[in-house]
Amino acid sequence: MKHNDAPAALRRGTLAMRPARSRAGQRLGADMRRDWDLYLLLVPGILFLLVFKYAPMYGISIAFKDFNIFEGYAGSPWVGGKHFANLFQSPDFARVFCNTVIISVLKIAILFPLPILVALLLNELRHMLFKRTVQTVIYVPHFLSWVIVGGLFIDLLSTNGGLFNKALGLLGIEPIAFFLDSSVFRGVLIASAGWKETGWSTIVYLAAFATIDPGLYEASKIDGASRLRQLWHITLPGIAPIILLMFILRLGNILEAGTEQILVMYNPTVYNVSDVIGSYVYRMGLGNQDYSFTTAVGVFESLISLTLVIGGNALSRKYLQRGIW
Amino acid sequence: MSIRTSLSERLFNGCNIAFFIFFGLVTLLPFVNLTAKSLSSEAAVVSGSVNLWPVGFQLGTYQYVLEDAMFLTSLGNSVLLAVVGTALGLFVTTITAYPLSRLRLRGRKWLLLMFVFTMLFSGGLIPMYLLMQALGLVNTMPALFLPAAINVFNLLIIKNYFEALPDSLEESAKIDGASNVRTLFRIMLPLSLPVMATIALFFAVYFWNDYFTAMIYITNQDLKPLQLFLKELLVSSSSEFLKDNVDAALNTTPQSIQAASILLATLPILLVYPFLQKYFVKGVLVGSVKG
Repeated sequence: MKHNDAPAALRRGTLAMRPARSRAGQRLGADMRRDWDLYLLLVPGILFLLVFKYAPMYGISIAFKDFNIFEGYAGSPWVGGKHFANLFQSPDFARVFCNTVIISVLKIAILFPLPILVALLLNELRHMLFKRTVQTVIYVPHFLSWVIVGGLFIDLLSTNGGLFNKALGLLGIEPIAFFLDSSVFRGVLIASAGWKETGWSTIVYLAAFATIDPGLYEASKIDGASRLRQLWHITLPGIAPIILLMFILRLGNILEAGTEQILVMYNPTVYNVSDVIGSYVYRMGLGNQDYSFTTAVGVFESLISLTLVIGGNALSRKYLQRGIW
Repeated sequence: MSIRTSLSERLFNGCNIAFFIFFGLVTLLPFVNLTAKSLSSEAAVVSGSVNLWPVGFQLGTYQYVLEDAMFLTSLGNSVLLAVVGTALGLFVTTITAYPLSRLRLRGRKWLLLMFVFTMLFSGGLIPMYLLMQALGLVNTMPALFLPAAINVFNLLIIKNYFEALPDSLEESAKIDGASNVRTLFRIMLPLSLPVMATIALFFAVYFWNDYFTAMIYITNQDLKPLQLFLKELLVSSSSEFLKDNVDAALNTTPQSIQAASILLATLPILLVYPFLQKYFVKGVLVGSVKG
């Protein structure tokens, strides 16, 4: 279809432009003849992309309307920024926003450095069979669903014969109702997320170690560098770009505090510390059918994430001369 | 000097090994505990006397779960979902990744940007729900696998893998007169088994584990996948326990049966995982280092 443009371009072209245009046109024509089947392969993927990723973005318009399911997208009246104004005044939203940020920041502060540390230690294991066995074991929890992990932790932390409370008992500590106590419930969320993902998250850093030039270690050994110095001066700088990349990506998810996890693990007693944007949108949007307001909440979340990733990338390019694109 | 170094190194190695033994135990003990509970009598479980070894050994819980029609229906749904979803996801993602891995493709950059943008920004839960409703997909199986058929993260891993294959492969196929499609399926794919196995595992695990999508779109009992069935089982009884409503809790599913259900739902993953592990380590390595 497109290679018919070549003669048209030729006809339209000015005298000076003609040779260049016709060459470009011929190249395009040749490309299409040679690669038409490559473009054909792209069709299903692009259809999926448009229908399931971009069409919902059109649905964002209902954040600016009083959406009514009977009137549909077109019939519902525009209300401008009303829902966004409500959002900033809503005490509910303030609460879930705070919870989201607190849980996310705690997760980043504690769980982001942990896999780096574990990967560094794994890298120091000299016994290969032991290392492989450890890796096999610590990757497993990543492959379990939040339903299963939630079930395991409810069981483990129960006050009625839960293994963890029994261990606390041996230390002379009274059983703690972890799932009912607002002061410790966020700790449960962070610990269970750490249990599930720390092992798996090391894989990226282990891959990064493999890209470091072994010659650097040889040379430093000759210079008498200890393992600690090698770690500090070779290994860490070697994986710094990957750490940065992972951090920027993690930053983009700051308003996704772990909805799937929380929906399994929370209960009304601890809503005050664990109800986050995702769980709130789920309950209010689908449960109460408050479509327009919760869409506004979702848009707000998406926009913040987008800003953080783009901003984080720009800052890292400016100050560290490295970015993710 | 050298003795001191080796002494401190040995001390470090010892501590390091001890740390990983501890890490491994922390990972495994919950499973051991749960297995013990599933094999113990309900009385022993409720009295809290089961630790790492069954008390009052029985296998009735497993028999009960495997005879439960709801469990079996949801298990069947999950198997179907994992098979169909993985096949479709792997196919669509691969045929999209291949053209995007050819540097000469016109508009490649723009297309990639369109895909990557959806990782950073989305319409959100409610517009997605309304779309699925408009498409008539609510309360159907395709609602669970169609939206997930293209996963941009997986797409990038496969694309990077294809890019890393030597150009000479494609050139020699061209000289032999092979079309692009033929080159992909006859030459590139057989060389991409590690990454294909990895992505297949990722898709299968996603479809097997996802309860959230089903919770949104599926209300029909006969269509619920295993994880949603389990979630309703666990959350309903644990919330009764949490409210100290022991009577109600005792009338819900016994803990030993919950434990058996959880283990049976985990088993397929634990069985497949060791065989695919060698592939995914390799496959992920290539994808993540380049990406």
